[in-house]
Amino acid sequence: MSFKKFCIALMCVSLIPGAFSCKKQAGETIKIGAIFSVTGPASFLGAPEAKTAEMMVEEINDKGGIDGKMLKLIVKDSAGDPAKAISFAKQLIEEDKVFAIIGPSTSGETMKIKAICEEGKTILVSCAAAEVIVNPVAKYVFKSPQKDSDAVQSIYNVMKKKGIKSIGIVSSNDGYGTAGKDQLEKLAKKNGIQILISEVYDKKATDLTGVLTKLKAKNVQAVINWSIVPAQSIIAKNMKQLNMDVPLFQSHGFGNIKYVKEAGEAAEGIIFPCGRLLIAEDLPENHPQKAVLMKYKKNYESEYGEDASTFGGHAYDSLMILVEGIKRGGADKEKARGAIENMKGFAGTGGIFNFSPADHNGLDINAFEMLTVKGGKFVKYEDK
Amino acid sequence: MNMKKYTPVFCLIGAAVIFQIITSVLNREFYLTQLTMSAYYCLVILGLTVLMGYAGQISLGHAAFFAMGGYTTAVLTTWNLAAAQEGTLARLVVQLGLSTASTNAYGVEIRHISPWVSLLVALAITVAVAFLIGIPILKLKGHYLAMATLGFGIIVYRIVLGSRIFGEADGISDLPPFRLFGPLYVSGDPALRVQNFYIAAFLVVLAVVLLQNLIDSRMGRALRSIHGSEEAANAMGVNTARYKLHVFVLSAVFACIAGVFLTHFNGGVGPSEADVMKSVTYVAIVAVGGMANLWGALAMGMALNYLSLRGYFGSYDEFVFGGILIVIMLFFPDGLLKKENMRSLTEAAIRMKNKIWKRKNELS
Repeated sequence: MSFKKFCIALMCVSLIPGAFSCKKQAGETIKIGAIFSVTGPASFLGAPEAKTAEMMVEEINDKGGIDGKMLKLIVKDSAGDPAKAISFAKQLIEEDKVFAIIGPSTSGETMKIKAICEEGKTILVSCAAAEVIVNPVAKYVFKSPQKDSDAVQSIYNVMKKKGIKSIGIVSSNDGYGTAGKDQLEKLAKKNGIQILISEVYDKKATDLTGVLTKLKAKNVQAVINWSIVPAQSIIAKNMKQLNMDVPLFQSHGFGNIKYVKEAGEAAEGIIFPCGRLLIAEDLPENHPQKAVLMKYKKNYESEYGEDASTFGGHAYDSLMILVEGIKRGGADKEKARGAIENMKGFAGTGGIFNFSPADHNGLDINAFEMLTVKGGKFVKYEDK
Repeated sequence: MNMKKYTPVFCLIGAAVIFQIITSVLNREFYLTQLTMSAYYCLVILGLTVLMGYAGQISLGHAAFFAMGGYTTAVLTTWNLAAAQEGTLARLVVQLGLSTASTNAYGVEIRHISPWVSLLVALAITVAVAFLIGIPILKLKGHYLAMATLGFGIIVYRIVLGSRIFGEADGISDLPPFRLFGPLYVSGDPALRVQNFYIAAFLVVLAVVLLQNLIDSRMGRALRSIHGSEEAANAMGVNTARYKLHVFVLSAVFACIAGVFLTHFNGGVGPSEADVMKSVTYVAIVAVGGMANLWGALAMGMALNYLSLRGYFGSYDEFVFGGILIVIMLFFPDGLLKKENMRSLTEAAIRMKNKIWKRKNELS
């Protein structure tokens, strides 16, 4: 080992931490912490969320902040690691003394820091969907994404109108698929729907004909698939190959046009519940969400050159609910918290939020619109 | 007893105490949170240092043992006994006095299995698993051993991710605090931060003393002989298979204890603790610490984990640890913080100094 080699290597190692250390700013500001899994297995959630939050904070500050106070966003990348989310939450609350935290991206991380935020008396507006985040209600914890149970109910409502009684379910083996499967099974009986068969597949599956053959043998009247993986396209194609001529329902995870492109012809006629971001252009002018959705979509797409997703929308909602709370209650944690809790009729990307002390999600089934695929595009589903 | 041997240990204790006093005086006690977490991760790293550096056996599956400890205690202590009182098993647990009560974040009192019991169960499971997989796996060498331990790590990760009892992708939250005895609790409560820092520091010091003695013992010499040449050690009458297995189990136990304590400190555990990238991180820290250098591993473990947990690496976290591993393997396959490297560094510094002196004299 020569000395020169040693020096080069030592320099490489010692430069790494310095290169990524954060910069510090001064001034009269409201600090908002953000914990997103920008990298790691949940990056498909965290990346658009972080981009959205940064874009919105910049926009608010360009317009002079909130009542003259600038916002300062501190984004922490948890990479989906709960230990890091815990560490960051403590750091943001005690050290940076943030006004509030938005995120984390996943339900697991949110549940780990729920008690920490509650004890630290810091507002948390989560971007994760699980219902346990707001049930039982914690005083300082809110969430912006819609409920899985409302998505399921929307699907069952359509089925009832179509006269579908017996169905088959397929779901992926990750957290998203399991949560959806639970709700589907829980609400089926109440809606008079019989689940003939429920199959789980690996989220990396590339062919689902085996699972579908089982469903076909049961003569199901419709198929529901619950996943956020490319299997959403595969299942549509496989159903065509097997000549299964029953309607295919999917979860709100299908709300990404790339899945339609992958499935091609086979995607036609898929019915799924989703927020209104995907059909923003088609909404009537007087719809309360129209202006919000169009603006977010346009700004995000021109800023980052990629399609806006409903996930980024969750970060938009979390941040804007908080900002609205500060506008109404002032830059005081307790007052802002009270303002959020009593906020009614706030139009976000996910729906119209109506919070109450018992409901820290604020969204109901009206947040969902049933969509279908027509001519390779998402359109509103109309009953025939 | 040879007190000189323990001088570095006393320095370590002194450093911990001084650091705590400084942070308390400056009202910066929040630094202790990440230091406590880093200290627990250091327990894993210390165990791994003996396995890798002294016995020369690589393991890319140590995050799995950590997760075993964390998940066992998480599952057992979040099992609400009050709700399951009708069950015979639950009633038996209560009657045997294995349960304890604590209040959760929402002010509700819950009855659950004592963390001392779950610690013992976790240790029993870890020792059993480490023995069972250690016997066949440690017959392998080099790349094959690395791949086998990697496979084991992936299996545990998939089990944790796929089982409902382990909370799947969400993990397990809302763990009760671990009451050690009297007023000593392992918990993330900001009011108990100082005592938690000392609990973690105590475990690290204990681990260092134990491992230092192990290294200097007959077993330590045997391990080093295995590292040098397994065939030669065998020929000299060292029972290599047994020594390798014992040190493998020992390092697994260290990881398991770290898992139990950190999970109670954090109040929750998630599947990323069992992730293969975590194992790679541990190996990278052992490598940068000097392979067969407990103090180097401890110093680097504290520093790198601390920086990582405070988010200094941002989105480049995995990149940093991966990069470190590549640099070390390319330039210093025997580890970075080693006596020889230090010596060449000081020699070079002296040479440089002499050169500057010489030039100065020439100029004047």
